Amino acid sequence: MANTNMGKTITAKAQNKKAFGLKLKIFKDKKTNFYVGLGITAFFLLITIVGYFWTPYNPNAMDVDAKYSAMSFTHLFGCDNFGRDIFSRVVSGLGTTFFVGLGTVLIGGLVGIIIGAICGYFGGLVDEIGMRIMDALYAFPSLLLALVFVSLLGSGKYQVIIALGIAFIPSFSRIVRAEYMRCRDLDYVKSARLFGASHFRVIFVHILPNITPVLVSSAIIGFNNAVLAEAGLSFLGIGVQPPDASLGEMLSSAQSFLFSTPWYALCPGIVMIIMILGVSLMAEGVE
Amino acid sequence: MGDNETNILLKVEDLNIVFHDHKRPETAVEDVDFELAQGEILGIVGESGSGKSMTAHAIAGLLHRSEITKSGKILFEGRELLGCKRSELRTLQGNDIGVVFQEPMTALNPVKKIGWQVGEALRIHTKMSQDEIRAKVLEMLASVELDNPEEVYEKYPHELSGGQRQRVCIAAAMICSPKLLIADEPTTALDVTIQAQIIELLRHINRTAGTSILFISHDLSLVRQLCERVIVMRKGLVVEEGVCEAVFDNPKEEYTKQLVAAIPKVDFINKK
Repeated sequence: MANTNMGKTITAKAQNKKAFGLKLKIFKDKKTNFYVGLGITAFFLLITIVGYFWTPYNPNAMDVDAKYSAMSFTHLFGCDNFGRDIFSRVVSGLGTTFFVGLGTVLIGGLVGIIIGAICGYFGGLVDEIGMRIMDALYAFPSLLLALVFVSLLGSGKYQVIIALGIAFIPSFSRIVRAEYMRCRDLDYVKSARLFGASHFRVIFVHILPNITPVLVSSAIIGFNNAVLAEAGLSFLGIGVQPPDASLGEMLSSAQSFLFSTPWYALCPGIVMIIMILGVSLMAEGVE
Repeated sequence: MGDNETNILLKVEDLNIVFHDHKRPETAVEDVDFELAQGEILGIVGESGSGKSMTAHAIAGLLHRSEITKSGKILFEGRELLGCKRSELRTLQGNDIGVVFQEPMTALNPVKKIGWQVGEALRIHTKMSQDEIRAKVLEMLASVELDNPEEVYEKYPHELSGGQRQRVCIAAAMICSPKLLIADEPTTALDVTIQAQIIELLRHINRTAGTSILFISHDLSLVRQLCERVIVMRKGLVVEEGVCEAVFDNPKEEYTKQLVAAIPKVDFINKK
């Protein structure tokens, strides 16, 4: 009896080990990585969309009785120092974060593609001038550059998008330029020119579709960086302005209550980490 | 027929191409002169680096890089190509001059459908509607002897074989019925049976459409099969020029003799 039991536990252990091994294997497989990442991102996106229309509490409404209350079923992530529901604030903060991330990638990506494409395709003097300007932009740490723009344009959601978008142009333009330099002497580009296609047509109709894989993965990575940069800016108090919620802004205001109400800092922090992880996994899968 | 002055389609005079991208300037093409009549097939042969492809690229208008100096004249129907504006050149490219490259593997855009690529020159040079372009492309695909043009139209380049791709390239170059087709080693990347088919196709195009063909190759037997006249080039210079039979049967220059001496293997097999 004891023997059979032991046998069972051993096989169970072996099975466990096998299952664990399988799990590890899953994370080595890029395709699975992509789907896991996609799942996580889609989950947060769904929450954000739902949160746009409905949150359990008004994210900015204060309830004095619930001040500092811990995690419970009435307040899923607890309440902050003003008695605001942290879960609702995280959900609406996610919306801000997504919006800022996408906006940044859109501005940085669009301008970066145009500059990178022109520099990479024509080469020579155009390339030299364009890239030196990009180098100058790149030499600034992007956070610092964003700080400069925020101090010029004032703080707020849209200012953050413009500032981060401009700060992200150099990295996009460099990637795109490298791809165009690789492509411009390929035979199909030559033959496109020999069909009588204009430079504009060759650049955007013939070459651009060929670099989409690189573009997509760099856009995803850019999105990640934008989310982190936005959190950093809000943390420094120059991003999204209270009472509007954003993940970084919540972390920033939570730091004074780190020991008394740790969930205030932990919840937005963990949500942000998981979201970044999801997007990173997706980026890795795309590559 | 090439002797008639009015019939001259392409005239190259004193063409010089010099590269300046190294410390010492390198001359790729030196004092090249030739003429191509309407409906003629002219072969240019020579070893690698003899400047034959450079000459072709200069005619096609592909040499626009700043490190290159060009001098001489390239007259296409009396219009100077070498010094003209790019916008002017563009109206000729694809419309009056078509080019087929050596590597059919890389000459097609990997992310675009075959039909789209073949119709590209029409989209640029004419104001045809989508349906008209489609009809014309299908007609062209059929005329380069591709089976199932409808099916090929919807395919991507990687789904086709090398020979099929080269046919697609020829179709794309011929879609606007150009007067001149420049074939830059179109058969080098293909195996022998496909080579023969492509040569046959080029000859067919020449006969039916009256297109002049500038056929560049290092394969003398192919040139002899296809061309009426031939130019032998070496180190950027024209070594010998003349009617194909005469040049190959009684080579005057030492280099041509050496080149011809390299063919006998084929003759040997034929005699056997």
